[in-house]
Amino acid sequence: MADTMMKCFVYFMMALIVASMAGCTVTTRTVAPDEEVIYDEGYHFSDKKKIVNALVSSLLSKPPLGFSTDRPVVIVYGVANRTSEHISTSGITDDIRKELLASGRVRFVNKTQRDNIAEEVDYQQGGRVNTTTRVKLAQQVGAKYMLTGTLRSIEKKQPRQVRIKKRTLMYYSLNLELTDLETSLIEWADSTEIIREAAKPFIGW
Amino acid sequence: MTKLRDARHEFYGGHPEKAAEILNELKEIPKRDRLLFLMEKGVVLHRLGLYKESINTLLQASLLMAEQEVISISQQAGSLVTTEWITEYKGEYSERLWIHTYLMMDYLLVNKFEDALVEAKQALKLLGEHPDPLESDYFTRALIALCFDILDEHNGAYIEYKKLAELLDDEELLAKDLHSLARKLGLDDDAEEFRKVMMKKPDRLPSGGQPGEAVFFLELGKAPVKIPGNIVLPPSIRFSFPRYDRSSDNGVSVKVSTDAGIAPPITIATDVGEVARASLKARAAKIMAKETARVAAKEALARSVEESSGELAGAVTRIFLFITEEPDTRSWHTLPKSLVLVRLPLAPGEHTIDLEVSGGGIGVESILIPEIYIKPGTRVFRAIRR
Repeated sequence: MADTMMKCFVYFMMALIVASMAGCTVTTRTVAPDEEVIYDEGYHFSDKKKIVNALVSSLLSKPPLGFSTDRPVVIVYGVANRTSEHISTSGITDDIRKELLASGRVRFVNKTQRDNIAEEVDYQQGGRVNTTTRVKLAQQVGAKYMLTGTLRSIEKKQPRQVRIKKRTLMYYSLNLELTDLETSLIEWADSTEIIREAAKPFIGW
Repeated sequence: MTKLRDARHEFYGGHPEKAAEILNELKEIPKRDRLLFLMEKGVVLHRLGLYKESINTLLQASLLMAEQEVISISQQAGSLVTTEWITEYKGEYSERLWIHTYLMMDYLLVNKFEDALVEAKQALKLLGEHPDPLESDYFTRALIALCFDILDEHNGAYIEYKKLAELLDDEELLAKDLHSLARKLGLDDDAEEFRKVMMKKPDRLPSGGQPGEAVFFLELGKAPVKIPGNIVLPPSIRFSFPRYDRSSDNGVSVKVSTDAGIAPPITIATDVGEVARASLKARAAKIMAKETARVAAKEALARSVEESSGELAGAVTRIFLFITEEPDTRSWHTLPKSLVLVRLPLAPGEHTIDLEVSGGGIGVESILIPEIYIKPGTRVFRAIRR
């Protein structure tokens, strides 16, 4: 009897050591870009994909871009971050531009590279570049539409009460607008929302 | 944490670069003092004008604060028979707020206004969670309003300026901002009320085009630190608790002279010691409840030793437990005594400004601001530590 108990104790201790050693090991795994990995109520990379897909599909299915045949030129001004998190919204605009370009329905003016373009054009016009290959002046295309947006968030925490977990509700909305630069009319606007609840324990070891 | 003490000593000895060096060399920081280390380092880097580095450090502090929301059973149980010093320092409510305040200042100083607004919203969350102890932090509230205002978030700015005017009980100080925002929001009745208040003390607006604004963050003096308080019940029971050193306060006044026509500055100050004391007081009931439990646990332990190993062993245990009963006096030392926001409308162009500051723990001092260039309708930010 005593022997059996001793064996059980040894096995238990060995299992405990193995378990604790496994806990100390660094593990990695590659996550697919379309896989949803969410740790808390905050903004995650998979959210970007979701909101970009929803808005690009709306933009391409509704007027004016949905019915245009002349590949209108668009300029992207940033998406303003009005959330309570440090979120780089340039990633959202980059993805929207990429998806719209891939559709072949619109063209984009490169706003972010304007200074570099001007510098390169100046260099080519400076007399060092062969006149037959240098770019011509005043040939840049003016944008017809301007794309702007705002990312907002509202956070709600569970009121103080006796509980072992704290619940937080997070609401995100991305609003996009397409403005006709000639008339300053908003020709298209849409928004997409993500609402997420997370529960965090109050007590840990 | 001898190194932390050395860094603080160098900081107040006028060698912030040496303080930064000491803190940069610190590689292994005990988990229990990590927040303290990040807070001190953030302010030292801010003082050196290394705003981006200060941001990186204080963002780590902000993340750590979020992680610290989970209560550790092992630390709490251990501290019941030893001392509070073995637990992870989580900062007073005021200190947690000032992490966001310094982040707001840093982001404004590097013209990252969207990020400053993110921090303003984080600060608002804390002000909402602990309204009473943090009520008199007017500086942070003014900074929050400014962050909303800069990004044309008129509604947010209007609400925050209005709250601030109520807290300061001064309807004239922010009447111009409130009038302008009420008009933008289409609140005509409110705008008319604020116009009447403005008329009581007409501004001398700067001439020469659309004015801009110079905004100064004055960080004056040395914040009070925690000191131990003790109540001894003979023969061997000792209640210990932290309290803030009380320092005399005579307020802060700022006079401004420039080479151009100016309107009087808007000056909003926070007495850091007052807010810190209110924050500690708000936790007093929790501290005393835990202290009582610790005293009871230690007495039970001493009696148990006495019963099992005799009177001498019991007496030795009591002496040991009495000595280990030290109040947790950890606090953020590099904070200033006063945080003062000075907003100065200026005409476009180059200006030299002289700020004459009195009070705030530095006596009277004239601070000459080297040339500041104001573009029409824009704001320029400067941080000054004395």
